[in-house]
Amino acid sequence: MDHTENKKAPGVLSRLGRAWRTNPLFSTGIALIVMVIVQTVALTMNSSSASFGDWFQNWLLNWVSLLRNNSAIGIIALGMTFVIISGGIDLSVGSVYVAVGAFTMMLLDTGPNGWLGSLGLGGAPAILIALVLALLFGGLLGEGNGLLISYGRMPPFIATLGAMQILRSVTQYCMKLQSPTLPEGYKDIARLGIGGQQLMPIFYWAILAAAMYFISKKTPFGRYVFAIGSNERTTRLSGVDVRKVKRRVYALTGLLVAVAAVIQTSRIGSMDYASAGSGFEMDAIAAVIVGGTSMSGGRGSIVGTVFGTLIVAVMNNLLNLIGVDPYLSAAFKGAIIIGAVLLQRKDKA
Amino acid sequence: MTLEMRNIYKSFGANDVLKDISFSLKGGEICALLGENGAGKSTLMNILGGVLPADSGSILLDGQEVQFPTPAKSLDAGIAFIHQELNLVNDLAIYENMFIGRELKKKSGLLDAAAMMARCREVFAHMDIDLDPAAMVRDLDASYKQIVEIARALLMNASVIIMDEPTTSLTDPEIDRVFDMMRTLQAKGVAIVFISHKLKEVLAVCTRYTVLRDGAMVAQGPVEGVTVDELATHMVGHQVRTESLRQERALGKEVLRAEGLGQENRFHDVSFSLRAGEVLGFTGLLGDGRSELFQAIFGSGGKYRGQLYLEGQPVRVHSTRQALELGIGYVPRDRKENGIIKDMDILENGSIVTWPKNTRLGVLDWAKVREGFSRQVEGLKIKMDSEKDPIGSLSGGNQQKVVLAKWLNAGPKVLIFDNPTQGVDVGAKEDIYDTVLALANQGVAVVVLSSEAQEIIRLCDRALVLYHGRVQGELSGEDMTDQEIMRLATGGETRGRV
Repeated sequence: MDHTENKKAPGVLSRLGRAWRTNPLFSTGIALIVMVIVQTVALTMNSSSASFGDWFQNWLLNWVSLLRNNSAIGIIALGMTFVIISGGIDLSVGSVYVAVGAFTMMLLDTGPNGWLGSLGLGGAPAILIALVLALLFGGLLGEGNGLLISYGRMPPFIATLGAMQILRSVTQYCMKLQSPTLPEGYKDIARLGIGGQQLMPIFYWAILAAAMYFISKKTPFGRYVFAIGSNERTTRLSGVDVRKVKRRVYALTGLLVAVAAVIQTSRIGSMDYASAGSGFEMDAIAAVIVGGTSMSGGRGSIVGTVFGTLIVAVMNNLLNLIGVDPYLSAAFKGAIIIGAVLLQRKDKA
Repeated sequence: MTLEMRNIYKSFGANDVLKDISFSLKGGEICALLGENGAGKSTLMNILGGVLPADSGSILLDGQEVQFPTPAKSLDAGIAFIHQELNLVNDLAIYENMFIGRELKKKSGLLDAAAMMARCREVFAHMDIDLDPAAMVRDLDASYKQIVEIARALLMNASVIIMDEPTTSLTDPEIDRVFDMMRTLQAKGVAIVFISHKLKEVLAVCTRYTVLRDGAMVAQGPVEGVTVDELATHMVGHQVRTESLRQERALGKEVLRAEGLGQENRFHDVSFSLRAGEVLGFTGLLGDGRSELFQAIFGSGGKYRGQLYLEGQPVRVHSTRQALELGIGYVPRDRKENGIIKDMDILENGSIVTWPKNTRLGVLDWAKVREGFSRQVEGLKIKMDSEKDPIGSLSGGNQQKVVLAKWLNAGPKVLIFDNPTQGVDVGAKEDIYDTVLALANQGVAVVVLSSEAQEIIRLCDRALVLYHGRVQGELSGEDMTDQEIMRLATGGETRGRV
């Protein structure tokens, strides 16, 4: 048979159309670009900049604050991506966040109740120790979820729903008589300035996103996460210790949440134990879903999640710029989630 | 009733799937539709069933041209398509399944269960079967589920029933039951299209055959007088082997020994010994426990009683990971559920077992992984465009070869094949047999679990026949015959050796 006629190089348009249909990152990326353009236009109309220099500075500052304000969710969403790709869900991230925050603040409290302080530790060593313990604590809480899910054979939704309630309630109980203050040195973790701007949270987010991207593509663990989400039985029958992989996914998420908690406490210097981190689970899930990861597991990407986080962030920024009533912002977020998933729907093969 | 499909063409992109196919069928005929995977059988039947549109060509029913833009239109015209994966809801009763989507209601709008059950009984009586319409589908065995599907087709006044590989998950007595049913319907003037890879079944039940190859009609005629060999030759386009593949091989040391293995009510007191280079078969009917037995040995079937020895050392396998490290491999049955990971590409599916071995500082060395997989692609004759394509783009036979490839790469000492040629076409089947024998020649201890007596007879040096989880007898050499296997599998005693 002769098919040479059909083998002509496909036109640019048809290739773009194919990418649109087959690569979820493509449509997400386009959506992000469109939003950024609209946002830039809105910013330009909003400010009466005298010169290009002024305008550019304005634009840059807007972006720095946007990225910084979303770095915590961005980092948590990275862990959530692995969890969702593995076929699970983690509702406890907001509560792990507040628990780790409280734990770190108690370790470093400069008052009489500070744990490390009462051991006679202070200064840089105390901060370093607190940092390590905070990350460990977050990993441990995640590991708890992982153990319930893998060895306890509990549905992830239920295990993490339980953990979510327990952790926040216990944190609030423990902290009701405490009002810790943090040492100045600790605040440098996030506040260390570059050119007068706090860029460190953005920097941490970028590094972690790159690391998670690498893990997802290049390590057996990362690929097992995809394999388990797609077909857990086959993966187990291929000699993979599925329970260990699942445990690690939740522990890794706990660790990332701990990083976010450290960044935020160091940036803000305090925490409201009743409300801090509440709704983080939904924001993180939203970022992951908007980024094209499948809720049923097996398909998704870290790059998509970064795009997803940015799409939601840019949209909030845009609403703010054009002065939409804040009561309506959640409605727009909801619309973005639904719209994104509609866009990503692929023709059934 | 006569049905005719004339000059049907269909292509997907640049790929011509059907080329000028004409096909006809009369009431009271059972026509076998044969062909390797990818020959176009399913596409042709999907066109008839209204699932796909033809590019050109026409369908005539009793001489009238008809159009089937949707499955519902095709069903209205009396054509029922029973898919390989049955369309029954386990948690509903038989009558609810039969009327699903077209329930009978009373004037008040509530369901009229009594009327639906009465209609079911009428259909069952017409089919000469005794089934309680109120029984739960969950409690039926696979053959009765198939029969309920047929009954549903009759309930909708189907005059043509398309059955896509109805016997793949059935045991021999169950197959007989379904065949009896087909003959009853045939006598009542129903036309049946029977899609199958099992040529002996075709000869047993069909009146006519049609063979497709690469989208073209290559042969058709009455079944009377044709042989399995002739049909197989039409399907693959060249001579096919049916002779025994058993060969003298020097056997090595004992690799695997089981003593008194047992697990709840799944298998009891199973003992056997397996040497390097040996091909040992396990067969029996559904519920014989062979899959459960070897899943336990592979560490994925839970706790078991008894003792397992690997190269003389007592071992207890708790996890598949441990089995892999010990050198025990398992190519599972039911490829879709247990064999492939549909969201991953061909390379990943064919190499996942070897990842732990191919890392440097915790990072996957894709070059090494690819190299190992490419070797298997060649050895197994896997047909594919790019190893980056999704696994689902391959035909069933090639998917199965990829599943094999991942274990071959791991270099196991013991490799267990559980129904290795399920849903695989004739050509791929022979390739898989060649691979199994090549492994044995390299000194791997091979276990073949199969419900196909012919597979066991052609491939294995020795076979244990299980009955309700117990070893009913051992056969080897000339003693391995269809009759002997069936006798033991149905609970007959071992004959005294002469």
